[in-house]
Amino acid sequence: MDGTTVLDSLKSQFPDAVADALIDSQPPHIVCANVDKGRIVDVCSYLKDNLQFNRLSGITSVDFPEATKFEVVYMIASYDHSVVVKLKADVVRDESPSIDTVIPVWWNANWYEREVYEFMGICFDGHPEMTVLVLADDMMGEWPLRKDYQEFPQTTAKYPYSDDQESVVEEKYPLEWKSWPTERHYLE
Amino acid sequence: MLEEQMKILIEALYLVFGNENPWGPWVRGVVGLCAMGGIMVSAMFAVWLERKYASDIQSRIGPNRVGGKYGLLQLIADAIKLFTKEDIKPDKVDGPVWAAAPVLMFGSALLMIIAIPFGAFIFNGTTYPLAVTQFDISILYLEAVSAIGIIGIFMAGWGSNNKFSVIAAFRNIARMIGYEVALGLTIVSVVIVTGSLNIVDIVEAQGSVVWFAFVMPLGFVIFGGSLIADMGRVPFDQNEAEEELIAGWGTEYSGMRFGLAYFAEYIHMVLGSCIAVLIFLGGWNMPGFLIDLHIPLIGLLPVGIFLAKWVLVMMFVVLIRWALPRIRIDQVTSIGWKILFPLAMVNLVWAAMLGLVWSW
Amino acid sequence: MVNKHDVKKRMRQLAAEYIHEPQQEAYKLDDTEMMLHIGPQNPIQPGPFLIDLKISGETVRDSKLYMGYGHKGIEKILESMTYIQGLPVTDRICYLSSLSNNEAYVSSVERLLDIEPPERSQYIRVIMQELSRIQSHLLGTGEYATDLGFVTMFLFMIREREYVLGLIEDITGARITHCFPRFGGVRQDLPDGWREKAIDVLSMIHEKCEMYKELFSSDRTYKMRTVGIGTLTKEDVMKAGLTGPSLRATGIDYDVRKVYPTLVYPDIDFKVQTAENGDIFDRVMVRVNEIQESCWIIEQALDQIKPGPLFPDELPYGRRTPSMRVPPGDAYVPIEDPRGEMAMYIVSDGTDKPYRVKIRGPAFALMQGLPPMLENVYIADVPAIAASMDSCNSEVDR
Repeated sequence: MDGTTVLDSLKSQFPDAVADALIDSQPPHIVCANVDKGRIVDVCSYLKDNLQFNRLSGITSVDFPEATKFEVVYMIASYDHSVVVKLKADVVRDESPSIDTVIPVWWNANWYEREVYEFMGICFDGHPEMTVLVLADDMMGEWPLRKDYQEFPQTTAKYPYSDDQESVVEEKYPLEWKSWPTERHYLE
Repeated sequence: MLEEQMKILIEALYLVFGNENPWGPWVRGVVGLCAMGGIMVSAMFAVWLERKYASDIQSRIGPNRVGGKYGLLQLIADAIKLFTKEDIKPDKVDGPVWAAAPVLMFGSALLMIIAIPFGAFIFNGTTYPLAVTQFDISILYLEAVSAIGIIGIFMAGWGSNNKFSVIAAFRNIARMIGYEVALGLTIVSVVIVTGSLNIVDIVEAQGSVVWFAFVMPLGFVIFGGSLIADMGRVPFDQNEAEEELIAGWGTEYSGMRFGLAYFAEYIHMVLGSCIAVLIFLGGWNMPGFLIDLHIPLIGLLPVGIFLAKWVLVMMFVVLIRWALPRIRIDQVTSIGWKILFPLAMVNLVWAAMLGLVWSW
Repeated sequence: MVNKHDVKKRMRQLAAEYIHEPQQEAYKLDDTEMMLHIGPQNPIQPGPFLIDLKISGETVRDSKLYMGYGHKGIEKILESMTYIQGLPVTDRICYLSSLSNNEAYVSSVERLLDIEPPERSQYIRVIMQELSRIQSHLLGTGEYATDLGFVTMFLFMIREREYVLGLIEDITGARITHCFPRFGGVRQDLPDGWREKAIDVLSMIHEKCEMYKELFSSDRTYKMRTVGIGTLTKEDVMKAGLTGPSLRATGIDYDVRKVYPTLVYPDIDFKVQTAENGDIFDRVMVRVNEIQESCWIIEQALDQIKPGPLFPDELPYGRRTPSMRVPPGDAYVPIEDPRGEMAMYIVSDGTDKPYRVKIRGPAFALMQGLPPMLENVYIADVPAIAASMDSCNSEVDR
């Protein structure tokens, strides 16, 4: 199983869904391709059933606010041969971005998709358990890894009070400069 | 000459401790308290032995700061630390049950003191065992009292209102029910051979070299295993397994409450080792020819022999603890009921045949 | 800019839809069942996570795993730091295998920069990787031994680990969180006299591993607790997507060092250690065998290493790289962490800070595969199984 065989068979099987397919020149010679969002499950099942890609390495997402799109990246590898396939699916950056889940193909996509959802807000249709994985329960809906997360990078945590309230914290513990003691008593 | 002086000494002792003296009971009480203090010190010694021996097994140095190079006073420092800790009583525990559990465990361990002879003096051919009382059913009494401690552990587990403690308590009961049976059967086989339930008679029935451990090896092995299970030590310490159940029944105890229960476990270990030495390893018997050599104070040697054997048994118990991993509770009960119990019955048959031979 | 009020409205919506625990299907209890929380603060856990076990008697019927108690937001932090500033941050993803994390990051950035470190640096990096593997396996197996009640094994392994950490400290200057590789090379060369000391230490560790294997195989109590428990078949392990010793214990010989060789691994001759059954006993045996194999790899590397430069001659950005600009693109280079396949997917847009760093850690798959393994086992097996997978909580949470 070679990178070129995988590339050719992908191109021949899905001529309309797969675009810009190429092989990386440097090791590990990843086969990269852009996949149409609606056909992702078909492409993945084809890869798993016919080309023995039985390990899902990871699912990532990258945020491109200028191009108003998210990119969901699938890294697919295999236990039987050493080719790695990298599929990129573009999701429009609107009110509720969504894409199909690949859990029917690989069982371990479960947690990866939950993580993408809680950080970027991309919903996976058909996922059995779309809740937070790594974040706290009350940070659901904040999509921290987006490029326009609130006031990043000055504040990355949610403060317990809103902007129009007085800062309770600063009243109780005012910041003042405490000078060092003028005399130090050393033990003699 | 020496024997007459010993006779006068013994008469003086009877005068002080006996009942004709109106202060007799008071004197006995004070001496009893001193004996209890001695037991505490020996439990402290047991803890120190465990820590130092464990550190030798694990190729590190144990306590070596408090009390000289060997850390002999480390336990006193630990006891002071336990006394000064805050006594936290959680809100929802079952108050009297939770508070009484360590007391019950400690009390049941101390109740065993009255019947165990800690060695003997041999003067003039008669043996004076160092026991608080000797009564005819002492071995039965000892086994019964050592089983009261389990109620204390269950009270601790139930009263703590904590899921981990309850699981630990259930495991304890399962363990004790299995191993008390094997323990009792081996003790009964020893009693059959001896013909008496009095522990002093059991010791005297063993000669100076022919101990019950050699005559009934199967019984000795079963007794050793059941004793380690009885004392709740690894490989049988599921009740306080820190891995699954944070501290088992002792999760909600802090300060001296925990210290009492912890100490009670070590006192149980000390006294259990004493019983093992007395029943199976010949107690204080020593080869008879030594008496005939008129060395002064040879009569005190049996106490030393008893203490030496006791230390060896305790070292063996500590070694087992640090050399083996822990067994799961279902494996514990399966060993107790499927292996030890049938073997104990076999041992009983063997002891019955032996008893016939012994009595000729 | 996202509107704050829209976000709050969405949050309230989600909170209204969220079904609280006692009403969820998994939390409905029968009369005979009890819910046990092996909770975030437990003395034996390597890091905080929560396992809810639904037990009936002493058997576990169902389990649910909650992560996230140690989330630090490392991926977001790395977006606001330059590439060289991000290197100490990657140390702390998993503090036990910090050299592997550094290596993954540096390899991916070198792929983007299109430079290759010279041969001596590659050998030094291989030596550090294998030393890190030895110490991580020693500690992981030791922690697993305490979960069984076998405290003596833990103390023996810690004693050996001290020697290995001494070797690592001689080169990098730190015992954990080393921050040692650089883009194009390594930070420092091997000191004088290190080679002889290393050979002594490695031969001692080789002997001790023989003793450990004999101890584990001959102890009857230990085998009662581990043989046949927590078994993973080949199909289970491929479904869960595991890599590392947990995969190799089932018999599949998949090692990232052989499948995607980087650095000088093709020049070094070593075997991939596998076992047959996939239970706890085999996983631990695979780890102890890997320690011995790593000793052999380091000895070969020390034989083959030649004197030479540590950095390539025409480095486009110099050795001090505070504000180097990386050409746009993305890179993904997998390496073999002590626990499995570790890789970082770095997207760069031509500036001096990365656009997106995704850390693909091996412990994520190990934790994901844990709840299905905990069906119909005893409570006492849960810590043994979890510790034999050797997963690291801080790597899952990042």
